[in-house]
Amino acid sequence: MELMSVEELTPSLDTPSVRKVPVGRTRVIGVIIVVIGLFSLIALGLNTSSRAHSALTFSPVDILTNAPWHLGTLTLLTFWTNVILALIMMGVGIEVLWRQPRRGVMGRFGFISVLFLLALLFWAVRTPGPSQVSFIDLTSILVGSSEVTMVLIFGSLSGVMCERAGVVNIAIEGQFIAGAFVGASIASTTSNYFYAAIGGLVAGGIIGWILAFLAVRYRSDQIIVGVVLVTMLSGLSSYLNLQIFTPYPKLNTGNVLGNFAIPLLDKIPIIGPVFFNQSAFFYLMLLLIGGVSFALFKTRYGLHVRAVGEHPHAAATVGINVARVRYINVVLGGAIAGVGGVAFISQQGQFQPGITSGLGYIALAAMIFGRWRPSGAVVACVLFGMSVYLADNLQTYNIPISTEILTMFPYIITIFVVSGLVGRVRAPAADGLPYQAG
Amino acid sequence: MSDSVATVPDAIRPRRHLLHRIGSQDPIVVAALALVLGFIVGALIIITTTPAVLDAWRGIFHSWGAPGHALKVSFDNVGAAYRTMFTGSIVDPQGFWHSLTTGKGWDATLTPISETLTYATPLVIVSIGVGIAFQTGIFNIGANGQAVLGGIIGTAAGSMIHMPTVVHIPFTLLAGIAGGVISGAVPGVLKALTGAHEVIVTIMFNYVLYAFLLFAVLSTALQQPGQQNDISRTLDPSAQLAPIFGAKSGLRVSWGVLVAVAVVIFAWWLLDRSSLGFEFRVTGANPQAARASGMNARVIVIVVFLISGGLAGLAGVVQVASTTHYIDGVFLIGNAGIGFTAITVALLGRNRPMGIVWSSLLFAALGVGGRAMQATTGIPLDLATVIQSAVVLFVATPVLVKEIFRLRGAPSQSVELATKGWNS
Repeated sequence: MELMSVEELTPSLDTPSVRKVPVGRTRVIGVIIVVIGLFSLIALGLNTSSRAHSALTFSPVDILTNAPWHLGTLTLLTFWTNVILALIMMGVGIEVLWRQPRRGVMGRFGFISVLFLLALLFWAVRTPGPSQVSFIDLTSILVGSSEVTMVLIFGSLSGVMCERAGVVNIAIEGQFIAGAFVGASIASTTSNYFYAAIGGLVAGGIIGWILAFLAVRYRSDQIIVGVVLVTMLSGLSSYLNLQIFTPYPKLNTGNVLGNFAIPLLDKIPIIGPVFFNQSAFFYLMLLLIGGVSFALFKTRYGLHVRAVGEHPHAAATVGINVARVRYINVVLGGAIAGVGGVAFISQQGQFQPGITSGLGYIALAAMIFGRWRPSGAVVACVLFGMSVYLADNLQTYNIPISTEILTMFPYIITIFVVSGLVGRVRAPAADGLPYQAG
Repeated sequence: MSDSVATVPDAIRPRRHLLHRIGSQDPIVVAALALVLGFIVGALIIITTTPAVLDAWRGIFHSWGAPGHALKVSFDNVGAAYRTMFTGSIVDPQGFWHSLTTGKGWDATLTPISETLTYATPLVIVSIGVGIAFQTGIFNIGANGQAVLGGIIGTAAGSMIHMPTVVHIPFTLLAGIAGGVISGAVPGVLKALTGAHEVIVTIMFNYVLYAFLLFAVLSTALQQPGQQNDISRTLDPSAQLAPIFGAKSGLRVSWGVLVAVAVVIFAWWLLDRSSLGFEFRVTGANPQAARASGMNARVIVIVVFLISGGLAGLAGVVQVASTTHYIDGVFLIGNAGIGFTAITVALLGRNRPMGIVWSSLLFAALGVGGRAMQATTGIPLDLATVIQSAVVLFVATPVLVKEIFRLRGAPSQSVELATKGWNS
């Protein structure tokens, strides 16, 4: 099925302020990459003694039950590995500077970030060195970060659903909170995460419906409504926690959902533990990524959604019910984020006020970094999820840079992205604008 | 896409009689009704979640008198909650009468109102910053982060540098303003130069600044010597804003109130008397007209963010200098941080200095009264946050309020904010 891209239909809708693009900002990012490469070369590569070595292991988290066989340990000379990684980084940077490619700059930047993190870890665990840990377990890093990544993906898919239909969903955080709260209470009373997921679906959907009700029907400012909804739910969950969970602790016992290993496939090194030995929510998330991409880009309904997000008046002219499309998508988006909240609580167990700690905003950032596309959002979520995980676990590796710097990473990169330093993003043209018929 | 009604300044509108206003769509009426709705939402939440009330409702089929009893228990609980909110934040009539007749116990009688003023002082300052940005059509969600940086730099200036009181207090306050200005400059400059949407940049920058806060209070420079925890040095006594009635009275309300009053006067002058403020308001009401008449949109965006950020920073440092005198790793963090409350305050006060003063006092009273309510009735103080957000949802949706109360008049936007998408 060949569908015309909606973006191409509306070339001149943007306000002029966005179009004023400073010349050569690809160059800026090229310089940034080269600087990162130089830093890695000097601080992480040339600075280490040539005898130091780092080990890279791939063992599954649970060796006994998990694998009849596994990959051995790869021992690397820290000096040469990091020099080579740094040279690759500088090479990419120089390529960006030289050719100034129009596409894929963001992808290259993500690649560089991963290389830099690797070089940093190799340097941290070098063996005649300060750290107690002498190896990096790639599998455990991937599995550990996949928990955060999964939640982020639920959130950013919710964002994609809403914003492609032209409604800004800043309330992802609020939907996470609602889903986590309802999910925790249902999972504690029924010990069944299926019912909890349904509860989270409904709770998130209701928040989505409130957003749609105020933003679509009454045309209030979507950003204000979103921000206030987050404040409200954060207050409400904290209120209910004291009022209900404290007197009835049975409602918040905090059982954690176990993993469901897919036979045979989970025995594959690296890929097995990461993709085939996960909780049911992870598999649901994989299905959702495909489902949302397919629904938005390969179906007639998706075309309607994107038309409504880009140019609601034109969409209305050809007979699309703009309000209905927006209602449906925002409620669905809220429901997805609500399930994300349940997925989060299925790892954390007990609900506590403030437990989502801004993950909803990182998901929003990931959606923007991924240019309002499910595939891009997923890549961004993986990158951000890894940085969140590493920031929480840096102490293990005894890295002298402070945790706080790594915590800032997803936010700073998003600021770079929206200001056009790394590639260019463009929101759906009517994103955030109320629609009035006539 | 603002309605034409919304862009008419108040001065041009004919002044109407009070009686005529009631039942019409006057923004003040809408705000008052939104407040009523907010308290109704709060009451419903109390009724549906308080165990004693639920028990009463569970028994309504047991006897003839039970439904009436259940209603009474509901009213009693809601009444007790709201009564303690009032006596805990404004004045306890009995205590007041006691002080009036015997002349004793004034400190205890005045404590609630003093607490409310203490809470309201930084809130007014930061909300006026947010309100000025709103009037220019700019959404500053970053006020909380800006207040945090103001608090950090202000604490550094007040605790690490020593001088006499006369210069130390202004120096500390200026340091706080500088922190706010720096953090406000980032979204302002990015928006002016690259068109980056200020909402995204400020949300993200908030988290950058929260991380920086932890970094700062754990750094050897700012951490309290001999401490391992995330606690900063304490401000020198010469940098603290002293309580107005002296430390012995126990009333915390400080000279910071004067700073807030100065900010209100400054904002009134800026918005109503200066040509810069006129440019702000024109840009907010109609960006095209502003551009056509030769106003430099980029400069205006940057200046607004510098002012808005500076006020947020000032609020941060006033908060430190008048209450705790130190900061910790969770200073102002979270959705209850004053920068977020400020958004709701500014919207309720319709972004005007005096409106913001009244709504700050109201929201401060809700917050302080919430604490008293939790202590006396056991109903968690977070109810105050829920009521505040509900009020603002209604204020932001005047048409809904109009429909609920069947007000007459054409629909108008009470929130005078040009609604824009990500691309503008």
